[in-house]
Amino acid sequence: MYLAKWTILLAVFWLLLSGFMQPLLLSFGAISVAIVLLVIKRMDVIDEQPRTIGSPLAALIYIPWLLYQIFLSSIQVTRLIWTGKTKVSPSIAKLPVSSVPENKKVLYANSITLTPGTLSVDLDEEEVTVHALESSSIEELEQGGMADKIAKTWGKKNG
Amino acid sequence: MSALDYLSAALLLLGFIFSLSGAIGLFRFPDFFTRIHASSVTDSSGAVCIILGLALQTNFDLVTVKLLFILFFLLLTGPTGSHALAKSARHGGLLTIPECQEKAKDGVS
Repeated sequence: MYLAKWTILLAVFWLLLSGFMQPLLLSFGAISVAIVLLVIKRMDVIDEQPRTIGSPLAALIYIPWLLYQIFLSSIQVTRLIWTGKTKVSPSIAKLPVSSVPENKKVLYANSITLTPGTLSVDLDEEEVTVHALESSSIEELEQGGMADKIAKTWGKKNG
Repeated sequence: MSALDYLSAALLLLGFIFSLSGAIGLFRFPDFFTRIHASSVTDSSGAVCIILGLALQTNFDLVTVKLLFILFFLLLTGPTGSHALAKSARHGGLLTIPECQEKAKDGVS
């Protein structure tokens, strides 16, 4: 039941942000959670996207890996910035996204943009257009390390 | 100063270096798309390092949680903004450097 999951998530979020435990403020929190749930429920009438909340465990595996990748490529881009603009050889390419689960394509495109040196310019059903500061980063993406990691972390079928 | 303080200071310093590099890269890089790359250094690494460094300065209570929330939302919105910029530039007809060079070559021959 996805609404129950949302209730717990929103309640925990509200409690962590406020930290208040007086009954009056807690009831305000409960009211806000109820309003948001109502909106989510009504939005489903027109929205046909998958509406489940995935397991946070997968994110806990993926985020540290992504942070490490960000750190590595940041160092690369920082070196490019300080060593001069003559060495920059930007390139643009289209990569297939078929190996990534359907509802993780946005995550994939977002991860590409988040990693310095690569930028997702356009995303559709079959491919993502990537602009890179160096052609080597395109080759790295073409080998599919990031796509594989996402597919492996979340699994192919359920996402 | 405890070990945590040193770690926090190192992270803050690293975040400062990344942010500064992003700002300088923004001026040094040749065209729009490459400049977005420079700003994404500030967006991702700079923000991550500074917020983690600040989180180590707290007493590990709700303030830490709030900082981590800020980090989470920055990691979501930063690339979304860059993507929106790049996508609209591309759909508006802005060419990347290799495409411009190709076009110039075709025009000459």
